[in-house]
Amino acid sequence: MTTLDATSPNPSNAPAPPVDNYLTFTRGFLSWALTLDHKRIGLMYLVAVLGSFLVGGIFALLVRTELLTPGATIPGVDAEVYNQFFTLHGAIMVFLVIIPSIPAALGNFVLPIMLGAKDVAFPRLNLGSFYLWIIGAVLAVLSLAYGGFDTGWTFYTPYSTTTSTGGVIPVVTGVFILGFSSIFTGLNFVVTIHKLRPPGMTWFRMPLLLWALYATALIQVLATPVLGITLLMLIVERVFQIGLFDPAMGGDPVLFQHFFWFYSHPAVYIMILPAMGIISEIISVHAHRHIFGYRFIAFSSVAIAIFSFLVWGHHMFTSGQSPLMNVVFSLITFSVAIPSAIKVFNWMATLYRGSISINTPMLYGLGFIFLFTIGGLTGLHLGTLNTDIHLHDTYFVVAHFHYVMMGSALIAMIGGLHHWWPKMVGRMYNEKWGIIGFALVFIGFNVTFFTQFMLGSHGMPRRYYNYQPEFQIYHVISTIGSYIMAAGFFWTLYYLVQSLFSGAKAPSNPWGGRSLEWQCTSPPPHDNFKTTPSVGDCYDFSVVKWDEEEGGYVVDRSQVDKQRPDH
Amino acid sequence: MTDLTSTVVDILSSTMLAMQDAAGTAAPAMQEPAAATTTAAPAGQVRELGGDFWMPPAASTLAPATDFAFHAITWLSYVFFFGITFALIYLTVKFRQRGTEVKYDAGAPVHNTPLEVGWTVIPLLLVIAIFFMGFKGFLDLSTPPKDAYEINVTAAQWSWSFKYPNGATSNDLVVPAGQPVKLVMRSNDVLHSLYIPDFRVKKDVVPGRYSYLWFQADEPTGMVPEDQSADTVVGHYLFCTEYCGKDHSNMNRKVFVLNETEFKEWEETQARWLDEVPDEELYSIAGPKLFLRCSNCHSIDGTAGTGPSWGDQTSGSIAGLGTLWERVTSGVSPIDGGTRDDGGSTLADYIGPGKLYETPEDYLRESIYNPGGLLISGYGPNMPHFRGQLSDRAVDALIGMIKNIDQFDAKGRFIGNAPD
Repeated sequence: MTTLDATSPNPSNAPAPPVDNYLTFTRGFLSWALTLDHKRIGLMYLVAVLGSFLVGGIFALLVRTELLTPGATIPGVDAEVYNQFFTLHGAIMVFLVIIPSIPAALGNFVLPIMLGAKDVAFPRLNLGSFYLWIIGAVLAVLSLAYGGFDTGWTFYTPYSTTTSTGGVIPVVTGVFILGFSSIFTGLNFVVTIHKLRPPGMTWFRMPLLLWALYATALIQVLATPVLGITLLMLIVERVFQIGLFDPAMGGDPVLFQHFFWFYSHPAVYIMILPAMGIISEIISVHAHRHIFGYRFIAFSSVAIAIFSFLVWGHHMFTSGQSPLMNVVFSLITFSVAIPSAIKVFNWMATLYRGSISINTPMLYGLGFIFLFTIGGLTGLHLGTLNTDIHLHDTYFVVAHFHYVMMGSALIAMIGGLHHWWPKMVGRMYNEKWGIIGFALVFIGFNVTFFTQFMLGSHGMPRRYYNYQPEFQIYHVISTIGSYIMAAGFFWTLYYLVQSLFSGAKAPSNPWGGRSLEWQCTSPPPHDNFKTTPSVGDCYDFSVVKWDEEEGGYVVDRSQVDKQRPDH
Repeated sequence: MTDLTSTVVDILSSTMLAMQDAAGTAAPAMQEPAAATTTAAPAGQVRELGGDFWMPPAASTLAPATDFAFHAITWLSYVFFFGITFALIYLTVKFRQRGTEVKYDAGAPVHNTPLEVGWTVIPLLLVIAIFFMGFKGFLDLSTPPKDAYEINVTAAQWSWSFKYPNGATSNDLVVPAGQPVKLVMRSNDVLHSLYIPDFRVKKDVVPGRYSYLWFQADEPTGMVPEDQSADTVVGHYLFCTEYCGKDHSNMNRKVFVLNETEFKEWEETQARWLDEVPDEELYSIAGPKLFLRCSNCHSIDGTAGTGPSWGDQTSGSIAGLGTLWERVTSGVSPIDGGTRDDGGSTLADYIGPGKLYETPEDYLRESIYNPGGLLISGYGPNMPHFRGQLSDRAVDALIGMIKNIDQFDAKGRFIGNAPD
């Protein structure tokens, strides 16, 4: 089974004959709008998610700028407007950016190729979930026309059912629909991984990103319906005045928090698990080194997915739930630390005796480990009962979850974007510019958010428009950091777009990857693989050799059969 | 089991203390209750952050245990963080690839069971120890002593009200030193959360149920300043930490800790002060103090807020119609909705002999005790009710202040001459 036609080297010096690729396979607007190709859908998701990231980022910059001074800073931005800013920032970043970023955008593109399949199991459902995402996003935007919403992204009742801002119902409906988009993507991935593995692709030969996406998909399918029901109940209370959560009508506001976090805590792992999968790929490919502890990493993904359902109560230590529940939830919360620590140690062991290429994706990979370590360790302060009582709802929490959700999940997404960029668009970006971009983002991020740990531990509450003057110095440093970070992201956008027009043509395998996506052309053909690909140990880099003629790496197929036994 | 618990905690404790001593930074917050907040300083001065690098001053008996746990976890984090960072840098530099040729090391280990079990079990033991440290502290935090002094707390958008056993009420939280204090808290509208950073205590205030919080502060802060609207560096901050809408960030007051005699005297005075104000000076003396509860939503200088200004408002539907008292007595304020709205267009349709409110004072009184009846157009039903919180005499004082609003400055301080 060594029939990888797609990897045949091109005569690269001569003008390349038009090779079938998914970007040029068919043309015209409708060929994209009605495409069933997982790669095109992934690319459309990517554009949509990055567009949302820009909008959410602008709101973040407005929030940071407003906080330069206590009280009013930007003319015309009063407390009401500010409350809408941080609400929009949070809601956009969580529901429109981070949750779909890796699974729906990158995952859609690489999952079937890595698996050796021609597409996902249900291509029409896949396109359908993209349009559900669009409808959800449009409703969220539409809410602004109805007066916006100032509830915070958590929609806590009874504030959310009584606030006079009129955009609550449109945006909650939007998030409800986005939930279905997420459920369908998860369902698609579960079935694809179960049913479309080619011969030889056993569970323990799958790249670790697929394990991570599989674990993520399980959470998406099992947890998201709870969010849907909760938001429907919120709408029912707000529209029909049926008392579910508002004590004035006989409801229970703490019940809403239970429902909300029963989804939203697992949702944190919808964000971070696929990021961990990407890091496993990036670290092993760019260190040219077999991943260390494959099974421990794979099982820790599943363990995290299971534990994620049992810890929601740690968001509610001060809410008035029973002290006994606080104790139980604190104990279970610490169990999540273990699989996360296992992954970090395994990534570090993978560097040992590797042959490490220090390039942009690898820097994002190493940056992830650094930032995730800080995010994870500060999670200990928050999981511990008595310290959480002090830190809950302060900037310490804000800093912690930005280190995890942005510093880890989004940084991994950007790293993965660089890693698969040559594969997606067939062009190389400028490596030096990439490193400059990483440096700006990494430094800016730490300046922005590390200061917020000190703000929070000294008692600065979150979601504050006005604050005590002695906190100002930290706010100023944090805002400066956010500008540096923004410069880094705009710079990254610039050189990525520039690479589309003047980047060098990408070889099939620019990094020396071993998994299947590096064995088809860049960009991949419409059907991914002309024939069923051969599957080996996807982390055995002994068969990957540099090919001067190709300008990239090739998999020496004569060696594939002699590979080492699995893991 | 308890023995094991305390042993683990003790071992961890002594290790952490040893590490702190070794680093020459014995946690200051734990050993010497910060003096910064106990000495009075001139008003208007920006106070310092205080405390140590991580924590604010520790001013309650519960704070040292929380700080200890915080610093212990932080030191453990330093060890892991610096270890991981140095290892990352070292490995990356040592094993970096030079040139395009990959030096693939076929013999590099792909797993090592003892190592992997090791880095699973060791973190597990560490987090179990941390859990018990937090558990012990939490038991103390959630178990108020039986003899605690009880103060009732009412939270509403966006003010706090503290009510004492002798009937005294206060906008700031004033507590006796050296005695456990238990707060019995309720909310009139949405979720709030009461947080005193220097005491390391926090609890959500949930509508429809009572929640409790206790602490004991031993160091007096000095007296409650006479002019409560002035900025002051005396006292501990009290914040609302559960997002509750527009003025969430202004829903904060101060905590003053008084020694036993000072507290008794304050409590007595506070219970009687309103009765002791001479009738003719009721609005000029009592008005400004009571107005602090209103000032987050109602301005005096004409700025539009969450509620209409008491002065001559300069924007919105009531712009240029005069002060609140003039708008009510002339009845020019336009009406748009409310539970008692039956289609009238201005206040004049509802105020006057034989109408819904006999006199303008009746309307104002009803609007304080039971707001939302008639909504001035442009304003929603946002005002919390003050039933049971303000006495008739307090409402008289506020109405008096509204009638004579031009004798007060923008912060609500009395500047005019006493009426003839």
